[in-house]
Amino acid sequence: MKNLYIFIAVLFIPWSFSLAKYDEFEDGDDIMEYDDNDFAEFEDVSEDTVTESPQRIITTEDDEEEATVELEGQDENQEDFDDADTQEGDTESEPYDDEEFEGYEEKPDASHSKNKDPITIVNVPAHLQNSWESYYMEILMVTGLLAYIMNYIIGKNKNNRLAHAWFNTHRELLESNFALVGDDGTNKEATSTGKLNQENEHIYNLWCSGRVCCEGMLIQLKFLKRQDLLNVLARMMRPASDQVQIKVTMNDEDMDTYVFAVGTRKALVRLQKEMQDLSEFCSDKPKSGAKYGLPDSLAILSEMGEVTEGMMDAKMIHFLTHYADKIDSVQFSDQFSGPKLMQEEGQLTKLPETKKTLLFTFNVPGSGNISPKDMESLLPLMSMVIYSIDKAKKFRLNREGKQKADKNRARVEENFLKLTHVQRQEAAQSRREEKKRAEKERIMNEEDPEKQRRLEEAALRREQKKLEKKQMKMKQIKVKAM
Amino acid sequence: RTAWRSPFPPARYKPPATETNPALEDPTPDYMNLLGMVFSMCGLMLKLKWCAWIAVYCSFISFANSRSSEDTKQMMSSFMLSISAVVMSYLQNPQPMSPPW
Repeated sequence: MKNLYIFIAVLFIPWSFSLAKYDEFEDGDDIMEYDDNDFAEFEDVSEDTVTESPQRIITTEDDEEEATVELEGQDENQEDFDDADTQEGDTESEPYDDEEFEGYEEKPDASHSKNKDPITIVNVPAHLQNSWESYYMEILMVTGLLAYIMNYIIGKNKNNRLAHAWFNTHRELLESNFALVGDDGTNKEATSTGKLNQENEHIYNLWCSGRVCCEGMLIQLKFLKRQDLLNVLARMMRPASDQVQIKVTMNDEDMDTYVFAVGTRKALVRLQKEMQDLSEFCSDKPKSGAKYGLPDSLAILSEMGEVTEGMMDAKMIHFLTHYADKIDSVQFSDQFSGPKLMQEEGQLTKLPETKKTLLFTFNVPGSGNISPKDMESLLPLMSMVIYSIDKAKKFRLNREGKQKADKNRARVEENFLKLTHVQRQEAAQSRREEKKRAEKERIMNEEDPEKQRRLEEAALRREQKKLEKKQMKMKQIKVKAM
Repeated sequence: RTAWRSPFPPARYKPPATETNPALEDPTPDYMNLLGMVFSMCGLMLKLKWCAWIAVYCSFISFANSRSSEDTKQMMSSFMLSISAVVMSYLQNPQPMSPPW
């Protein structure tokens, strides 16, 4: 009992220390109201007193910012304190003021329990400490989000500046070659907007038309996704370039029938697999262009040798050699229908629509680390495009070439028809069955029995006629065969 | 030099029909939208804070990659859902998030 009183008295010292410090605490207050922070001030509580009540362990931390407190069994002690509080609170706290505590660090009761259980320093889990430092994961997350937003703004602006730098460089050349520069399709009249269409934060379009021989030219500036931080990080692993893609749609009468492509070997291999027309008409592997003086990096895919001969004139070779680092692929095709459509077997009943097209894909050198000034280096490529338009109009196959080309196209169509023959048959069959069913339904729905009978007879007669016709045909074929 | 000028009125721009060529479209914004919604539902139902935070990131990424023709309503709704997942997780459990290691 005496020990208990001593213990309680000792515990009261730091407690009333807190009372003296914090004015808002009143003596009569229930201890239950005080949370862990108060006990955090008890840095100088004797370690020995801990052993008196093994359920309540008070320890100190090195930095002395907070005391870590284990709360097991505290409730029981609270009840003890309640009793003690009412009895001794007032009398005990008065004699203890600040001065009394100066020597308290020396722990007068240290001798009490040297040979008791060792102190276990327990780390209070983070969620019991109520300081903002424990929220470091959240702060990390918010910082990440802020970084993402910053990157979005910076990337968006950079792409914007690059696009406008490109346009400013090329504007003069375009306006001197096309009547309509810039159109978004929404105006009633065909007037030049003189502006790029922004499709995305990284894709800009420009439509030019109003020139002889070509229906129009669509320029797509496909920049890297600088506004997406994930993409920026991915590009650090795998470098990529900004691309300028130019698609010139030719008028039907202004281009002869041929399929031809030149570009980097890697690009051509990929295009041969992906593009419908290249895969059907250019069956050979990309050939080296060294014969014509092209650098090794470029290769040629062509429908026939005559086309290559015709395309590779001096000026074209000059363009290709000088700007080989910027050229990804150049494709001239009268059967252009875009990439192969992944359709199921049963759905393919018609050949995709084709259009006479010249397709140019240019890479902006620098693998993404470019400044707006670098866009000027693409200007000669636009001259090449315009030259190619004129050339495509002028180039005509000779008689032999034309025959070969026509044969090729007929062959491709035939192959396609053969493939889809079964499907078309099935489609026709199902259509016929549908018609029959519809007729039968009509007959069934007729309320008048007289009419019903008559319709049935009519249907029967029709069927008989069809059978007769078929028999006649078979007879004719037999006669012919004989 | 107007030899190049076409006598006919210039052709108008027609936006390419992307419905016929789904392969040409970039699927990233749609995937990220879906992922964001899945994570925010996980975060709300299972009361996992990290799920909710990842959902916020997904909706930001989806927004950054979105096409101009994309519906802003869907973007906003996925964003709001992820923010509400984060807020609800913290209201129910104000303790800080513990790292998985």
